Amino acid sequence: MLEILIVGAVSSAIYAMLAVGFTLIFGVARVLNLAHGSFYALGAYGTYVLTSHLKLPLLAAALLSVAIVAAFGVLIERVFIRPMRKSQLAVLMITLAVALVVEQALFLTFGSEYRNVPAFVDAKFTIGGVNIAGARLLALGVGVVVIGALWLFIQRTRYGSAILAISQDPQAAQYMGIPSDRIFSVVMALSAGLAALAGILAGPFLTVQPTMWLLPIVKAFAIVVVGGLGSIPGSILAALMLGYAETIVGYTVSTSWTEIVSVLATLLMLMLRPAGIFGRRAAF
Amino acid sequence: MKPESLERSVISRLARGASLAAACAALALPAATASAQSGPIRIGVPTAMQLQVGRDTQDGIKMAIEDINAKGGVLGRKLEMVVADETENPETGISAIKKLTADEKVDVLIGGYTSGVTLAQLPHISAAKTIYLNVGSASPATNAKVKTDYDHYKYIFRVGPLNAALQARQMTGFISTFVKGELGLSKIAIVGENAKWVQDLVPLLKKGATEAGADVRAVEFFDAQTSDFSPLFSKVKDSGAQYMVVVLSHASSDIFAKQWHDSRFPMAYGGIDVKSMDGDFCDRIGGKAVGELAANFAVRAPLTPKTVPFFDEFKKRTNRQPVYTAFGANDAVYIYAEAVTRAKSTNPDAVIKELEKTSYVGIPGTIEFDENHDVKPGSATFKGPALLFAQWRDGCKREVIVPKTMRTADFVYPSWIKQ
Repeated sequence: MLEILIVGAVSSAIYAMLAVGFTLIFGVARVLNLAHGSFYALGAYGTYVLTSHLKLPLLAAALLSVAIVAAFGVLIERVFIRPMRKSQLAVLMITLAVALVVEQALFLTFGSEYRNVPAFVDAKFTIGGVNIAGARLLALGVGVVVIGALWLFIQRTRYGSAILAISQDPQAAQYMGIPSDRIFSVVMALSAGLAALAGILAGPFLTVQPTMWLLPIVKAFAIVVVGGLGSIPGSILAALMLGYAETIVGYTVSTSWTEIVSVLATLLMLMLRPAGIFGRRAAF
Repeated sequence: MKPESLERSVISRLARGASLAAACAALALPAATASAQSGPIRIGVPTAMQLQVGRDTQDGIKMAIEDINAKGGVLGRKLEMVVADETENPETGISAIKKLTADEKVDVLIGGYTSGVTLAQLPHISAAKTIYLNVGSASPATNAKVKTDYDHYKYIFRVGPLNAALQARQMTGFISTFVKGELGLSKIAIVGENAKWVQDLVPLLKKGATEAGADVRAVEFFDAQTSDFSPLFSKVKDSGAQYMVVVLSHASSDIFAKQWHDSRFPMAYGGIDVKSMDGDFCDRIGGKAVGELAANFAVRAPLTPKTVPFFDEFKKRTNRQPVYTAFGANDAVYIYAEAVTRAKSTNPDAVIKELEKTSYVGIPGTIEFDENHDVKPGSATFKGPALLFAQWRDGCKREVIVPKTMRTADFVYPSWIKQ
């Protein structure tokens, strides 16, 4: 029981870090960014390159990698997304193209083999008789802190107010003199940075290879559909639901059934309540 | 759309065009075949180019071609290689065969990886009447028709790896003689990914292990996409098993090893782990595979006089450790070249007769074919290829543990397991 509680919390934290960024950029810019999983992959690969080829210390490599991916996110937003933001279909296509280009670039540069992202903690911890890897506990801790910090940033800062304003009414926000393009860039940087961080934290215990972007985007998608596109509390709640649902199915039924949970949840939610738990209105 | 599907549609269109052109050409040009007899002998290589198995197939063939050409070629003709990407998708695999046979008009095909792809290719290979030396896929079904429908399927040979049924038999031997016999652990759990060949193999394994006196406490399958093994490990631990036998091929080997190590799972594991055959698997996951026992078709050990020199030469040229397709493909080129030399022609029927007589000392052992053109396994009296169980050790070095006759070091438990 305690094991399910801990393992489910770790999965939920990783999912939440992925989904919050994904829903944030949708809530603010109405951009359904299919390249979000690529930021996750690039975070992990960036840390791999910086630690194994450039021999940087892990913390420096991780921070630098987050910064680089955030900058890459801004670049993608400026060059590809901004000119065609009016058409959601075009944005969908261009971000999918970016994701595939990133995947192929990783294939060509690193091959299809797994790569190693070193862990910050290699030790094993025992909590109430449950053995749990330090890297997982760290992912849980950092996930909670970072999402908390993001929440404070949105609620307490001027940038945060601007983000809220745009998400509630983009036109009115623009009339009030809020520089929406700059805000989009900030949100894109935050979203990409969060995904990269998730990749770095999950890299030591999950896979690091060119197709690693696909599963996270599927999960993030499922979570935001369940939670409501654009709603941060919705995605946190849905991340918890999905993380725990998968863990419970894994423990009580079979590991081979876990992957169907997210697909089923998406399907059910789309049938029963297409707006998701919190719908559009509850954005932030 | 994934890029493969675009590529596939373009390739299949090209292939259709090519086969049309080939049909027209065949009506007009009997003289062309005569002139082809004097040009280079063309080796077609259908393989999954983006994977290490595919790259190693090509490099293994390239090494053999360069060596043979440096010595004057075969029947005075040089060898050359044409590659086609068969990916892991049957449709693309068929297009690759059509491209190589109809368009490139190769004399022989050497390649293969995924059994599903090879099975889909078989009718097209036999229709093209081109000899096919399989060096990658393990399903017994690929060679099952050679004996029953010889005229159609005589072109199909498997140089390696040992087919899945033989692998199951050798795995059962591993459980009874090593896990139960030497380690004294009779309670085992069998864990495998949800793939067709694994579902076929696991019941055989369970039956064999039970007959050998082992107590199979749990049989668990997991999805190839699984990213969290905690529930599975928990079930295996609760079952009371003492040793975990795994069957992993296309996915998750890295996550499995990482999470096993990170949680200091109190049980050793070993079995078939295809990714763990890669020479640098352990390094690539930060040394977390140390302690795992994985089956290999060859490792750098003096199995035959060719094994160690091949491993060293391959490493020198490519800066990689070879996987099984590398030495299968390398041996296949020599086997084909010798058969052509004996037949004094590249005519498929003549070459097939000579291939059937093959007894070639290759890299994993002596290669001979049975009546299904399948590679014969090694035994007490025959030094053919066998499954070798090697353990990852500190520094990501490998030591052969099973079979005992080839042992290079004694088994060591992972550091956190107390005996």
